[in-house]
Amino acid sequence: MAEDGTIYYTNGLPVPDTPAPGEEPEFWKETDVVGKRTPRVDAYERVSGTAVYPSDIKLPNMIYGAILRCPHAHAKVKKVDAGRAEKMPGVRALITGDSPEAGGLKWKYRGYSGPLFDAHCRFEGEVVAAVAADTPYQAWDAVHAIDVEYDVLPHVVDHNLALTGKAPEVHDQGNLAGTDEYERGDVAGGFAEADVVLEQNYETGCQLHTPMELHGCVADWEGDRLTIWESSQGVYAVQSVLSGILGMPLSKVRVIGHYMGGGFGSKLWPGKYTVLAALMAKQAARPVKMILTREETFLCVGNRPPNTMRLKAGVKKDGTLTAFDFECIGPSGAYPGGGTEIVDWLVRDLYQCDNVRCLSRDVYIHAGTARPFRAPGHPQGSWALEQMMDDLAEKIGMDPIELRLKNIPSISQGRGIPYTRTGLKDCIERGAERFGWKDAVKRAREQNRSGSHIKRGVGMGACLWIVGGGGPPSTVVIKLFRDGSVNLNMGASDIGTGTKTIMAMVAAEELGVKPDVIQIEHADTGTTQYATPSGGSKTVPTEAPTVRNAAIDVKRQIIQMAAEDLGAPAVDLDYEGSEIVSMKDKSKRIQVTDVSGLKKRGVVIGVGYRGPNPKNKSVNPFAAQFCELEVNTKTGEMKILRFLGAHDSGRVMNRLTYDNQVFGGIVMGIGFGMTEFRQLDANQTGKLCNRNWHDYKLPTALDVPVDMESLPIEIDDPEANNTGAKGLGEPVTIPTASAIANALYMATGIRFTKAPVHPMEMRRRLSAGKEG
Amino acid sequence: MRTIGAGAVSASLTGAAMVAESKPGPPEKILDATDTVKLKLNINGVNYAVLVEPRWTLLFVLREAIGLTGTKEGCGRGECGACTVLIDDIPRYACMTLAVEAEGRRITTIEGLMTGEELGPVQKAFLEEDAFQCGYCTPGQVMAVEGLLRKTPEPSMDEIRTGVSGNLCRCGAYHHIFRAARKAAIRKTR
Amino acid sequence: MLPQFSYVRPETLKDTVKHLNVPGAAAHAGGTDLIGCLRDGIMQVNKVVSLNALPDLHGIRETADGGLLIGAMTTITEVSESPLVRRKYPGLAQGASEVAGPQLRNQGTIGGNLCQKPRCWYYRGEFNCLRKGGDNCYALDGEHLFHAIFGHDRICVITHPSDTAPPLVALGAKVRIIGPEGKRTIPVANLHVSPADNVRAETVRKQGEVITHIELPRPPENLRSSYRKVRARRSWDFALAGVALALEMDGDRVNKSRVVLSGAAPVPWRSQPVENAISNRRLNAETIEKAARAVVEGADPLPGNMYKLDLFKGLIEEELYTVSRELR
Ligand SMILES: Cc1cc2nc3c(=O)[nH]c(=O)nc-3n(C[C@H](O)[C@H](O)[C@H](O)COP(=O)(O)OP(=O)(O)OC[C@H]3O[C@@H](n4cnc5c(N)ncnc54)[C@H](O)[C@@H]3O)c2cc1C
Ligand code: SF4
Ligand code: FES
Ligand code: FES
Repeated sequence: MAEDGTIYYTNGLPVPDTPAPGEEPEFWKETDVVGKRTPRVDAYERVSGTAVYPSDIKLPNMIYGAILRCPHAHAKVKKVDAGRAEKMPGVRALITGDSPEAGGLKWKYRGYSGPLFDAHCRFEGEVVAAVAADTPYQAWDAVHAIDVEYDVLPHVVDHNLALTGKAPEVHDQGNLAGTDEYERGDVAGGFAEADVVLEQNYETGCQLHTPMELHGCVADWEGDRLTIWESSQGVYAVQSVLSGILGMPLSKVRVIGHYMGGGFGSKLWPGKYTVLAALMAKQAARPVKMILTREETFLCVGNRPPNTMRLKAGVKKDGTLTAFDFECIGPSGAYPGGGTEIVDWLVRDLYQCDNVRCLSRDVYIHAGTARPFRAPGHPQGSWALEQMMDDLAEKIGMDPIELRLKNIPSISQGRGIPYTRTGLKDCIERGAERFGWKDAVKRAREQNRSGSHIKRGVGMGACLWIVGGGGPPSTVVIKLFRDGSVNLNMGASDIGTGTKTIMAMVAAEELGVKPDVIQIEHADTGTTQYATPSGGSKTVPTEAPTVRNAAIDVKRQIIQMAAEDLGAPAVDLDYEGSEIVSMKDKSKRIQVTDVSGLKKRGVVIGVGYRGPNPKNKSVNPFAAQFCELEVNTKTGEMKILRFLGAHDSGRVMNRLTYDNQVFGGIVMGIGFGMTEFRQLDANQTGKLCNRNWHDYKLPTALDVPVDMESLPIEIDDPEANNTGAKGLGEPVTIPTASAIANALYMATGIRFTKAPVHPMEMRRRLSAGKEG
Repeated sequence: MRTIGAGAVSASLTGAAMVAESKPGPPEKILDATDTVKLKLNINGVNYAVLVEPRWTLLFVLREAIGLTGTKEGCGRGECGACTVLIDDIPRYACMTLAVEAEGRRITTIEGLMTGEELGPVQKAFLEEDAFQCGYCTPGQVMAVEGLLRKTPEPSMDEIRTGVSGNLCRCGAYHHIFRAARKAAIRKTR
Repeated sequence: MLPQFSYVRPETLKDTVKHLNVPGAAAHAGGTDLIGCLRDGIMQVNKVVSLNALPDLHGIRETADGGLLIGAMTTITEVSESPLVRRKYPGLAQGASEVAGPQLRNQGTIGGNLCQKPRCWYYRGEFNCLRKGGDNCYALDGEHLFHAIFGHDRICVITHPSDTAPPLVALGAKVRIIGPEGKRTIPVANLHVSPADNVRAETVRKQGEVITHIELPRPPENLRSSYRKVRARRSWDFALAGVALALEMDGDRVNKSRVVLSGAAPVPWRSQPVENAISNRRLNAETIEKAARAVVEGADPLPGNMYKLDLFKGLIEEELYTVSRELR
């Protein structure tokens, strides 16, 4: 195959130099594969319907699980009677808190440890019993036939009431889950120095992940070995949690998650459902498929917590920010979940300001526990900070873009160390230019003077993401077969961000083969290498350098082997696409596939490890987003006309999937800013009102603008890692809602401090006037 | 105009072929709630005989009884479109269709758009335009676009957006989906 | 997951009525509402009676007097795309095209759309509320952002979910019903039940009764009909506020009018105050302003849905200005 050129794209062109052992590879200056618009290596599987997701697994003899959940926000289980259910047709396994299988098992999450079946149910959706039967229909019939007696207890589901002293306690030690304080400089002094001081309260709604593929798994035992197919962002994380709970050696728990239908942070860990599936599979001695219902995913697999924030800011007439004072409260939910985690980070780090104080209080309430949600904390903090920036600009009569440009920090102030590179200024400047900011503002102002009830606004928001540089550990193995084709073995999951494709492109760049002849094995603890879960926008900057290192390892070995064949010293040789050539004597050359060492062994294995990140420097992606919209001031309807995302995520690894991420993040941000909110029946039952996709509204194809543009701000960042790539998946959703809010302000003159701004809220505020 | 039931559309309106001939007589008697009955389904041109309970949805039968897992379940409540299939050429939700109701109809799933191992034009356009991320809504989106193009071969951008407005994409790949639909339309009409 | 039920697909209306005339039997048209209701367990059904094998319930045809007869099993897509409907009753075509999303319109029927259950999130959720046989309405003191501002008598505050019913009422449509006691024809305006009359029912249909057709009278000269819907998002969403207009015009004068609101009340809500404000008047700024003020007359909003007052005002204003602009 190699001879007819179908494996190599290079046709004798050089590939990146192979560094000598111990030496670091050079930063790519030009690339042949990386960065190009490349359809995904697994696109065929995904568009043909042949990709097998965990929910598609069907094993011989498999049965189906279903879970009985506590229907109350706060209750104690007095008695569970499963007598009727056990005898129902098709039922093969049934487990409750009284079952011996459950005895002593502890559920662990973020430092919390408690019984798997906790009779004290602290949120609607806590597990009470589980059944497995021949069909899911029968399993649900049986669930409905389990009789449970509850003691219903008083609840608190409003995080603003949790600490008032009047609220019932979620845990014995009280409702305060944690406090985080931060201070630098002299805040009081800073406000004294300011020409303008503004203070404002902000509120954001609770956003639910609801990825398209339901949470769930298939569990199968062979003797003492457990195999789990889990819809997951990280198979090794699932393995580690399960082995901890079940008390099994890691080697006996194999977790597979080749395809997965979205997670956004809610699938970083397994759920109780995974453990229940494993236990019932053991009980029934048959594989169990346990896929949650859509309604369940609204209750118990995480959320972006709602936050109530207060921001006070001081600015001088010349635009110098003198002080920030930020306070925030938010709910972890029933168990530790990070209710206010890094909500304050943008206040600490994004704009130059010497005097900053932040106070966050994380509280318990009787509702589902939070999980990380795409850029945890950041869209909330951005909602406050970016609106405040616009208000400050207005007060001092400065263009909001100018105010931001005036306050580009030279270092990461939150950490006190420099960034490797910062594209913040370029994102704002070049984004504004490309968007046509000045003209758009003019156009909007003109329309708003015309007397039409359709008002127009443009707005922007900038951001950074707290991490996004990736880092160790990661191990990748690359196998070079004797025909020149390549197998790439990594533990990371591809959660829809195109990880597999990017890794194939990196290996291709180094080895000179086409990305699509690279076979990828991934996301299987039984057969692939250790990786941390795909989240935090760290997958590409973690795995890409690792893949590069593995490819270089292969090249070094091949060069070593070729040295023998060519009778030339290895130091003189280098890889040139399909050939190894002596740099000293170009006539000395050999096809990679003719290298006798490779032919003899059949395969050469390269191993790559993720090197450390630069010391005392911070690697962060930056962004600015711009939006133009219209408001119907009679009905409150809004229409987003266009969006532009200018992102500095270092090197663009694949322009096609890069743009897709940018657009997707904006869509999710539109949801956060305009359509999505969890509604709890706070005053009566504490139960969830909107537990389906009709009542909980995701943006549809008609709610997003056709006109969307992605403008990569590509800045070489050789210090970040040896590929120069930084994270992208999370910054893309951070400033979207705040850009919308700023545009709404221009259109209506109203500050929308409460997210989401749906037509109901818009109409209410239009009536209530500016203060409402 | 002969009656063939809900969802089937008269030829005069959409040009969809009618399959009244293939419709078997209605169940003579009541299908018992607790029994399974033999049902013949025509899926992607192949006749399947399956044993089903009256309450089983077409989605469940496709995925779990027959093993055609290309069609996905996102909600089971008519709120996401992941389960979109064509019934007599018209996009519908398999989760909101009882299997017994699909008897005698022409059911097309994502697998049915393939020619052997080769992708259909809509699938190819989705591949080239990267019209997905996690891919879980994708079969439904592809079927919605396929249905749209069978009825409206040269759709405007508004028609495309409306055509996929019964399909959520949580990854937010809408922009690329619009592009893919437009590309597929151009390819198909050429 | 759906509970167990038996299933039958009769071929004659007589058999259909017979099968439906027992407690626990439910008609299945497109199934798009019924299946959701069964999944949510909001009604106890042990027999599903499919209407899909019935002849003559499907399709749209012109009647001798120039009206239309629409079979109850006609899909919503067909109604929205029918050239006949579009020409004669654009308001109905618009209403139909605003229903749910494309797949649901392809599957859902006009008969089913009129008979669908309400969408109150307590009702559809695990709450045993008044309408489901419980003791109290949770929405009244709870979360009622989407609920009614008219006609609820503080008993049950659902809004009627249908987007086809308001234009049908405005257009003076009737439904033909067949049941154990024979046939009857009633105006769509009388089909739905307000909570004060019976909080457990949505329509006046009795056990065993089936809607077979919808009759539309011959459109009067110079009829102008329309439907406009405001929603929280642009697909798959019920009306926050909607208005169906059927105006008989004479130049810029409104001779007669029917104005029916959606998203307003437990039943399609005929707004007599708006009709009075515009009938026999020229459609000028003064009339429109009066009409906008009139639309909220008699409203009884709850703390959480006050926004609907100005929303309806704005909607009426915008719609009537659209009409008056067309006249110019
Ligand atoms: C997610 C979602 C969003 C929606 N959004 C909207 C919307 O925006 N606007 C809107 O108007 N609707 C909306 N709907 C409702 C949808 O339009 C209805 O489900 C559909 O019109 C019902 O028609 P069907 O034929 O499927 O009825 P079915 O589900 O078959 O029946 C509905 C009810 O009517 C009874 N019934 C049906 N036909 C007859 C008959 N001929 N005689 C007597 N009884 C009968 C049935 O017994 C059942 O109780 C939405 C539905 C869903 C699931
Ligand atoms: S509004 Fe009606 S349906 Fe909703 S909770 Fe009240 S009684 Fe029940
Ligand atoms: S699974 Fe059918 S619409 Fe969601
Ligand atoms: S691609 Fe993930 S939901 Fe659409």
